[in-house]
Amino acid sequence: MKTFFKAIGNLFRKPVTIAYPEVKTYIPNDYRGLIGFDENLCIWCRRCEMVCPPGAIVFSQDMKGKQTYHFNRAVCIYCAECVRACPKEGAIYQTNEPAGFALKEENINNGWNSLFDEAIKSRAAYAAEKKRLAAEKAQTEKPGKSIAPGDEAASAENEK
Amino acid sequence: MGKQYEIPLGAQHISLLEPLHFKFTTENEKIISTDANVYYVHRGIEEACCTKFKFRQVSFVVGRVCGLCSISHSTAYSQVAEKLVNIEAPLRAKYLRMLVIELDRIHSHLLCLSHVAENAGFEALFMKTMQYREFSMEMLEAVCGNRIQYDFSIVGGVARDLKAEVAGMILQRLKTFLPQLDELVDIFQNNWTLSLKNKGAGAITREAAMRLNVVGPFARAAGLAIDVRNETEDLLPWKEVGFEMVTDTTGDVYARNMVRLRELYISIRIIRNIIASLPESALVTETKAFPDGEAVVRLEAPRGELFYYAKGNKTQMLERLKIKAPTFSNVAAMVEAFTGNEYGSAPAIIASYDPCLSCTSR
Ligand code: SF4
Ligand code: SF4
Repeated sequence: MKTFFKAIGNLFRKPVTIAYPEVKTYIPNDYRGLIGFDENLCIWCRRCEMVCPPGAIVFSQDMKGKQTYHFNRAVCIYCAECVRACPKEGAIYQTNEPAGFALKEENINNGWNSLFDEAIKSRAAYAAEKKRLAAEKAQTEKPGKSIAPGDEAASAENEK
Repeated sequence: MGKQYEIPLGAQHISLLEPLHFKFTTENEKIISTDANVYYVHRGIEEACCTKFKFRQVSFVVGRVCGLCSISHSTAYSQVAEKLVNIEAPLRAKYLRMLVIELDRIHSHLLCLSHVAENAGFEALFMKTMQYREFSMEMLEAVCGNRIQYDFSIVGGVARDLKAEVAGMILQRLKTFLPQLDELVDIFQNNWTLSLKNKGAGAITREAAMRLNVVGPFARAAGLAIDVRNETEDLLPWKEVGFEMVTDTTGDVYARNMVRLRELYISIRIIRNIIASLPESALVTETKAFPDGEAVVRLEAPRGELFYYAKGNKTQMLERLKIKAPTFSNVAAMVEAFTGNEYGSAPAIIASYDPCLSCTSR
């Protein structure tokens, strides 16, 4: 009976719901949002890539050794493990900005998978090139000693 | 003997949120036997944890075993991994883990209660319970930075600290929540229509509960005083923060509701004590060691005892990880407790078991 009267009384009370888009819901200011990256501070140690559980960060490398940072907001789980692992404060940081949705054009799944593989390959290629150059140098310095062929597959495995 | 019918319920059903299949054999509306099938959502998480992820990353993976008790899984894993690398989490980290586990228990229990109300046909109470539950979600977001996947426990400690203003906010919101909880207790206890679907439904005796190894609020409602928080002190100091066992005697849906509601008062007390006596220390114990040997950990998740086993072999990857979720232990008793009930009560009974199939089949 009590519930019944209460229910009748509720007809004259203000609604308990909030008018959502106009009235904002509570979001803490240290909400775990997008990961930011500062190229100028980074020391390219790739530790963030190593600790990231889902593999949302990958570094590619061109033939001169310059590395580029790639981040996928759809793969990231916003755990901030990369921020904790980074030895250089401020190089990688967490903002409180929520991740936006992805458009079809972005090809965020397959595109990322191929980008990831290419990035790993580009690093392997750079490592192999470096090895070859070093071997060449060693040979010119000490003629007679044979060089080991730059084994791409082996170095690719090391990279992983 | 009348004519018997077999009625399936699930794996997709309007009153079931979980991919769970029951096959009831009924005779004139009365359930006389039940078959259960729970393995619809196998995701291969255990295997992935041993082949794809390094042991420090696994705490984030197991956090995704379940959306409701994410923190229980990641804490249990963190503890088992800490045993394997021979470290102990700092005291502050332990307290913060307990804080989040209890906040999580509040939201999980209220969710279960709201579903019991909904499945018993009491939509308004469902809405009300969900409305009151909202504060716990917001507080979890304030503490952990996210509403569901907390990613709070990491191997060695916790990822974030509790800020003073957040602690103040929790205390204040708990103060508004207490009268709301009293109101819920009143409705669940005294509402006549709800009692028709709850009192005496899905009952299980203490002996049967013991024989079938029931855990969690399901067991405590039947009078079986088992709670991991009462048994282990080494990993998380529960008694220090005011844990108390809650049991009931009848073992029916009503008793399970009451156990859950009364446990919320204990959770509130624990949270208050933790905030009042939060020790100062580091948040993480660092180590460079690799997991070695074997270890087990038990932890009281909102649904009962969660069990983790891990084996390391001095590499980054674990050799084996075994998770036993509370719902798995309860399946046998779930099947038994249906017997003799009306088919029409089945949805409310299922909701009162609080099954979590994504934990069970992983
Ligand atoms: S927040 Fe976590 S998932 Fe996202 S990039 Fe950093 S480590 Fe990876
Ligand atoms: S861990 Fe920090 S310094 Fe190292 S590569 Fe990542 S962002 Fe750069």
